[in-house]
Formats: sequence, C-alpha cells, structure tokens
Amino acid sequence: MAEELVLDTAIRDWVLIPLSVVMVLIGVLRYFVSKLMRSPPSASPSPDPKAVKEGQLVIRARNLRTSSQFIPAKAFKARKLYYTDGERGLLHVPKEDAQKAQAAMFSDPNMAMDMMKKNLSMIVPQTLTFAWVNFFFSGFVAAKIPFPLTQRFRGMLQNGIDLSTVDVSYVSSRSWYFLNLFGLRGLFSLILGEENATDDATKMMQMGGGMGFNPAMSLGAEKDSLDIIQHDWALPKMEHHAEEVLRKLLKK
Amino acid sequence: MAAATATATAAEEEARLLRLEEQAEHGGGGAWEYLSLARRLRARRPAPVLRLGLALLNDASARSRLAAEQWTLYEQVAVAAMDCQRLDVAKDCIGVLSKQFPGSVRVARLEALLFEAKGDWADAERAYALILETNPFDQIVHKRKIAIAKAQGDMSLAVDYLNKYLELFMADHDAWRELAEIYVSLQMYKQAAFCYEELILAQPTIPLYHLAYAEVLYTLGGLENLQTAKKYYASTIQLTGGKNTRALFGVCLCSSAISQLTKGRNKEEDSSELQSLAAEALLKAYKQHASSKEALVAGMLKNMKLS
Repeated sequence: MAEELVLDTAIRDWVLIPLSVVMVLIGVLRYFVSKLMRSPPSASPSPDPKAVKEGQLVIRARNLRTSSQFIPAKAFKARKLYYTDGERGLLHVPKEDAQKAQAAMFSDPNMAMDMMKKNLSMIVPQTLTFAWVNFFFSGFVAAKIPFPLTQRFRGMLQNGIDLSTVDVSYVSSRSWYFLNLFGLRGLFSLILGEENATDDATKMMQMGGGMGFNPAMSLGAEKDSLDIIQHDWALPKMEHHAEEVLRKLLKK
Repeated sequence: MAAATATATAAEEEARLLRLEEQAEHGGGGAWEYLSLARRLRARRPAPVLRLGLALLNDASARSRLAAEQWTLYEQVAVAAMDCQRLDVAKDCIGVLSKQFPGSVRVARLEALLFEAKGDWADAERAYALILETNPFDQIVHKRKIAIAKAQGDMSLAVDYLNKYLELFMADHDAWRELAEIYVSLQMYKQAAFCYEELILAQPTIPLYHLAYAEVLYTLGGLENLQTAKKYYASTIQLTGGKNTRALFGVCLCSSAISQLTKGRNKEEDSSELQSLAAEALLKAYKQHASSKEALVAGMLKNMKLS
C-alpha cells in the first residue's frame, strides 16, 4: 500500500467546505431562478377546442363501450355507426391530421420556449461552476474517504489526477465537485421541499411522458375497441331478475 | 377530523349539515363550519346561508379571522342573497369582491348572475358574451345562457344552446338530462329517448334513468317500444328492489297495452309472470301504505285483467 498522504487542513478549510457550500447555494439559487423563469401555468391561452372535444368524445365512447349492454340493439348500432363509421365517424382521425398534431406539439413556440428556459437554467450554472472549479482547484487531492475502494473507482474519484500510485480512497477536488453535483439531490429535496426543480432526472422523464400523450392515438384506440365489441342486451335477463326480486318481496 | 369527514358517506354529511344548521341557528356557534360544509356539499339552503353568512360578514373581528377565506364567503353569501331575492345584499357583496379582484372572471360571472336575478336578460346575455370572448370554454357560463333561455320560456332556443353545448362537452350528463327533460316537455319523445339512452350509458346503475327511458318509450307507443319499455320498467324494479311504485304500475300498463296490441297471440309467454307479480306487489304496497286506496287499485288491475 502506498504511503499515507498528509492533507493540509487548509485544503479542508479552503477547498472542501467552500466547494460544498457553493454547490448548495448554487442549487438553491437555480431553484429560485427557474421558478421565476417558469411562465405562469394558468395564463396559458384557453385550451384548443378540438382537444376539449376529443377528450369528451373519448369519455363518451368509453361509456358506450362499457355499458353497451344497457341500451337496445338499435340504439347501440346507431351509436356505433356514429362513432366508427369509416370516414364520417366521430372517432375517425384522418392520417395527415394525426401527423399534424404531432408536428404542432413540437412547433408550439410556448412549449419550446419553456423547455429552452429549463435547459438554460440547468446548463449555464453548471458550465460556470465547472469552469470555476477547474480553474482554481484542479489537480490536487482534496479529501480522503474512510474506506478502501477498488481501482474501478479511480475514474470517478480521481478525475483530474493522472497518477496510478495514489490510493483510490483519495478524492480529487474536481471529483469532489462532481460528487456534490450529483449527490446533493437528497439535501435539496430536504431544503426546498419535495417538488424542487433541481431534480433533473425526473424532469427528463416528465418531458418524455408529456410528449407521449396524443389525442389522435387515444381516439384511434377507442375506435378499435368499439369496433370489436359485440352487443349483448342485458335487459331481457333483467326481467327474470325483476321477477325474482318481486317474488322475494312478496314472500316477506 | 378531515379524514373522518372524508370517509363519511354523503347521507351522513347531509345529516351533519342539518345538525350544524340547527346548532348555528340557535346561537350555538359553528356558523363558519356550517357554511364551509354547505359549500362543499353544494347544498342549496339559501335562507340559513344568507342569515349566518351575513352575520359573519358584518362582524369585523370574525371576518378578519377568516383572512383570505372571507372572499369565498362573500361569494357564497352573494349567491344565497340572489336566491332569496335580497338583491341589495348581493350587490354589496359583489361590489366588495369586484373591488378586491378587478378583472376576475369569477366576479364577472357573479355580476352577470345579478342581472339574471333582476330579470335583465339582455344585460345578463351581454355580460356572459363578454366572458365567453376571453374564455370560450367556460362551462358554467354556457349553462347560464341555457338557463336564461329557459327562464324566458324560449324552449327551442334552450334546446339550440344545449345542443351546441353538448356538441363540445358531450360527456356532461347533467346537460343530457336537462335536454331530455326539455324534450319531454316539448313532446319530442324520440329525441328525449336518445338523451335517456345517453344517460343510461353514462350511469347505468341509476334507476331513475331507466324509469324515465321506459316512460318515454311507453309514451311513444308501438309494440316494439312497449316491449322495450316493459324491459326497462323491469330493470328499474330490479335496481330499486321492487320499491318503485311507478315502475310496478309501468309493468302492468305495458303488459296490458301489449296484450291489447297482440290480441291474444301472445308471443312472450315466458314473461307473463312478471306483470302478475308486479300487480301483487302493488296491492301489497297499497295495503301497507295507503289501505284506503287499495280497493281502487284492485279494481283498476282487474280492469287490466292482471289479477
């Protein structure tokens, strides 16, 4: 094993602690800045009439699908035709329309703007702090973790030091920066509440999920499931049930 | 306590509302609690709400204790006051609100409602049109416009508005119900039947829709409709456990009408027991609840050759 390195206490006082404090402060600052930059949610223009209508249409078609057995066959057939009839049915979505919807989602300037703001508020401070750390604190060991680690961790813990002789449990200052960057998430959720904006990973997930919703798709799915259901009128059975109910009532 | 109220059923909540009302009316306190509950349940009890709410609003210290909640109270009292035709109170409340929230849609709605309460239909329409310019999808405003048409007695206009509304908000079953009732009042039974079908689809377990649908079908007449009507009366009987007298009568009337139409060639032999059972249940119900009229019902059923 290599000789013990002695770390100057000045490194602790002037690198380790300031770096952590600065990272926390930047995180907090970023939270408030992104909060400021976020456009007010309710001020967005009134919803698209088509989207409103499609949402309602899906609900109505779903009602038809789930309780079709409660209306007479004639009424059901009329409704089924109304929803699913080839070109004229309400659930029919023209091909180019579906593509247009997708395109509209991407070209919506508000949405793109929002995303850019979010990304900006993430990237700019990160680049700045990284440059700052790189400039002032690069190339020396800043801390030692109290347990031994395998060679694999060298890249993670000793970023910026290209010495293979140093024990892996020593942490370089640049690596300390990265550890803070990724490890402070739990602390932020303690300080800023559960829904803090600094949680980049979940934000990415949300962005992906938000894109996935496509009204045209749900219309099509509803149409397909409406197409395959068979109408089985439950009312004739109800007569027998009613007889039983009355018999029971009369026996009492 | 919040958890306890959340689990309480609607009936319990209503009982609690009445209890709180009693308590507050007799000076036992709990006025604010009562008002909050009434608001949450959307109970329409304008007189006590107006009395208690106004007392709270006139008490400066009580009002300041409510802090931001006082504005909701102003709104609630304003609506209750309009219900009681205390338009002066409503006007004061709305005045305070519009000073506090200039340009608010919610206040604009109240102002339009005040016009309506006064009967200034033209002004109210104008006010609602103004709101719709900025929020074309305000469901409440659309419904108010329908209500104005109905209040003026212009049923065909109301039907027009309702159809336009339903074209957009087609899953709103309250609107379907309103439309169905208007169609019935206009004797447009085919259209009403369609609306009731829609209601049954949306909420298939509510017996009242089955009953109303059966009644519309019975009114339409014709063998097929009568047979269908009978089935829906039967489903009403099943859903209500045979407690619905109207449905019992309906089954009897339908089967007698069917037998008249088919003149003996009775195809539906299998369901012949239902009407006699229904007749029996009717007689039993009358014996229990209105014994003086039992003979009358028995005579009528005999006329229909059911008992």
